[in-house]
Amino acid sequence: MAADPLAGRAVTGVRARQAGWRVLTTLGKSVAIFVPVFFVATFVTFALRSLSGLSPARLQLGESATPEAIHNIESQWGLDRPFLVQYWDWFTDVLHGQFGTSWVNGADVATLIGLGLGVSVSVALLALVLGGVLGFALGTLAALRRSTWVDRAITGFVTVVSVMPAFVVGIVLVEIFAVGLDLLPSGGYIPITEGVDLWLAHVILPALALSFDVVADVARQLRTGLVSAYRENYVLGAVVRGLSPRRVFFRHVLRNGVGPALATLGIKFPSLVGASVVTEWIFGLQGFGRFANDSAQAGDVPAVQGVLVVSVVMVVTFNLIINVVLGKVAPAALRGV
Amino acid sequence: MTTFTKTSPTETSPTEIAASPTTLDPVLSVRDVRVRGQVDDREFVKGVSFELTPGKAVGIVGESGSGKTLTCRAVLGVLPEHFEVSSGDIHVAGVDIASATREQLTDLRGSTISAVFQDPASYLNPSIQVGPQIAEVVRVKKGLKRRAARRRAVELLAAVHLRDPELVYSQYAYELSGGMLQRVLIAAAIAADPRILIADEATTALDVTVQAEILDLLADLRENAGLALVVVSHDLAVVAQLCDEVLVMREGEVVEQGPTARVLYEPQHEYTRLLISEHEQYGLEKFLTREGP
Amino acid sequence: MVRRVLSLTAGRVSAAILLAIALLAVLGPLLAPLDPLAVSDDTLAGISGSHWLGTDYLGRDVFSRLLDGSRASVVGALEVTLMALVVGAIPGILSVYLGRVFEWVTLRVADTLIALPFLLFAVAITALLGNGITQAMLVTGVLVSPLFFRVSRAATLAVARSQYVEAALISGASLPWIIRRHVWAKVLPPIAVALAQTLGVGFIIVSSLSFLGIGVQPPEPTWGGLLASDLGYLDYRPWAPFAPALLIMATVWASNLLADAIRDVSGEAGRALLNSRKVRANQAAAAGGTA
Repeated sequence: MAADPLAGRAVTGVRARQAGWRVLTTLGKSVAIFVPVFFVATFVTFALRSLSGLSPARLQLGESATPEAIHNIESQWGLDRPFLVQYWDWFTDVLHGQFGTSWVNGADVATLIGLGLGVSVSVALLALVLGGVLGFALGTLAALRRSTWVDRAITGFVTVVSVMPAFVVGIVLVEIFAVGLDLLPSGGYIPITEGVDLWLAHVILPALALSFDVVADVARQLRTGLVSAYRENYVLGAVVRGLSPRRVFFRHVLRNGVGPALATLGIKFPSLVGASVVTEWIFGLQGFGRFANDSAQAGDVPAVQGVLVVSVVMVVTFNLIINVVLGKVAPAALRGV
Repeated sequence: MTTFTKTSPTETSPTEIAASPTTLDPVLSVRDVRVRGQVDDREFVKGVSFELTPGKAVGIVGESGSGKTLTCRAVLGVLPEHFEVSSGDIHVAGVDIASATREQLTDLRGSTISAVFQDPASYLNPSIQVGPQIAEVVRVKKGLKRRAARRRAVELLAAVHLRDPELVYSQYAYELSGGMLQRVLIAAAIAADPRILIADEATTALDVTVQAEILDLLADLRENAGLALVVVSHDLAVVAQLCDEVLVMREGEVVEQGPTARVLYEPQHEYTRLLISEHEQYGLEKFLTREGP
Repeated sequence: MVRRVLSLTAGRVSAAILLAIALLAVLGPLLAPLDPLAVSDDTLAGISGSHWLGTDYLGRDVFSRLLDGSRASVVGALEVTLMALVVGAIPGILSVYLGRVFEWVTLRVADTLIALPFLLFAVAITALLGNGITQAMLVTGVLVSPLFFRVSRAATLAVARSQYVEAALISGASLPWIIRRHVWAKVLPPIAVALAQTLGVGFIIVSSLSFLGIGVQPPEPTWGGLLASDLGYLDYRPWAPFAPALLIMATVWASNLLADAIRDVSGEAGRALLNSRKVRANQAAAAGGTA
């Protein structure tokens, strides 16, 4: 029988379309989850002004302001319009990257946040990498040496690490590396453009402080995932087909056991972003966590709203990425297998 | 590149393996193998012996818990945790399993001895399409390049009588039926041209017509590719259809062993007689008349 | 259930630690040998007979501050936990019964709360709302509540689908009666686990907030606040952070241990509920929000 090249091409086309369709479906499903999240989060964030009862008039005029003066300023900021109208205006601005101007100094909030974003993103990403790498190493080692002393030692270590809050770790790190050994600066920030080594020296300690929590969770989830994957029949199947232990591990065990650990990374990211408030305080970094804290204490509502929205966007984006990666690496995990 | 041609002449197809030299030396010899559980120090397999030469088939029959699966796993060197071969020896193509290194075992598996099991879906990686899992074996064990391995995998899928092998290649295990999956699993098992194939309850969960087709496929492989088969089943009919020799196991012991016809016609042990009488209604007579003396 | 938890070593150890911490919270302020707020000229002193843990930068007795601060730290965590329970469990149970709109809305809100960068929101909202202990507990409680929402919802769903509730409904039993009689028994073990977990989480959060001077403000002592005031003087008193840090970690560890112990004795049904993927994710989120 003569082979039909057209038929072959058609099959390839079908396959490519299938693969693209799968990515699109995971992306679509993830977006379906995160769009409501984004809406609710922005709504809550916006409602903060009404809830707090704060007004730019108080900040600018002080306690002794007359009602007329307050009213004037509030209508200047458009605060006398109906709540939902204000929300919608603000929301469309946010979609365009506009967060309004600060009540305290009238500066553009987006610009102010942008100034601190580099610091925070540097620290958070480095923490994620550190935590991911260390957690993967520990979790893998524990799973490969399961029910030996190595496994128990790692489990014990992970338990200790998991109960150490970032600010405690931060203080201990400052104590050891900055005060005790005098190896690293105890605070401050230098952009990566002025030298990778300087940048690293300044962000490594805060990143390490943040990463402990990630290490613990990733190690635990990965160990569990790998151990249960090793019990699966397809591992026996791969062994019987004569694949080497290394190949069995990377292609068959890791691929299916990594799901929960990857999902954990997605779940951990918000807490990394959130914990920046504490670490930036300890290490004297002017990131957006510090900015959020200072603005909130000053009652600068637009600034706080801006920071919170940016943090939600970061979280949502990161989780979308994780979901797509998860769909690629372990499609079975997303099907709930 | 993905044009599917049916067996290009330069490639070896499963049907050509029949020409490979057949020796009378056993490819598999199992001598008085005992398997012990380390936890409660109980013996689960109490002395199993048989020999297998190329193109022959041996069947192991018994109910679940009779030790037949443990015997297979001992042969493959993949006993579950806390089980060990306590005495006896197993030689696969002349290599002693007990003294073989991990690398030697890895080399043997797939290219000399392979296996398929019950519940085929669970033996395929759910995160990888089924085709690449076959291509992987071809690539690792036969050293083929990526593209050639892919072509070979599609050929194998065609060889196990799957319609539309190109499509099956890119499907996931959950998208295929039980019968198709068992064919895929067989394709993966024979991908590196092994000399022995163990089929452990390979047809058990399948419905009757599919079961018959899979059995035909195994018989095909045996006749045309010179595969030596170890067929394990609780179903005497399955074993009778394929095997030259039968072992009947109960509670770890081989209660009866001999040529299929002899065991079927002149069962010595009452347990064998029980199994045969149980199976009369499944049309066992057909084989009795066809293969009788 | 209490007896079975205590039959486990982990249960006994964690119960003992938590009891000790509770005693510290009740008696601590009374036991403080010196006035925790009294400033003296003897600043940044080392360990001595009169100052067991030395003095801080204002010359205040650190040991007294540690004892006095235990109440605010522990009570804060308890308040957060109870708040989360009320805010989470009630809609969690109701979401099964009050129809699809309510269910959808509560689920989306829970999703959102989980996805929020927790500490950032806790700090920002508390500060905006006036930076008091009440605001802090309210905000934090709401932010941790999804764990209770999920757990109680999952448990209720499991019960609601079971035959005997259906039978009760058909035979005309009232909704409150069914909830009291059937739902509660199933919901209780997972909620106990969630309580223990949230206690640990709440503890970290309250310490983090007080570390930043949010909620409980200086000069009133808390364990977190103590750490903050130690931070600037590590050169002089490098060992100072260890006492409050160890107390915080011991409490968190004991809470987690207790949660595990309850989970271990709460049987298959409880375990299945707690191990369901969503709930695990939530627990991770709650535990993570903490750092």
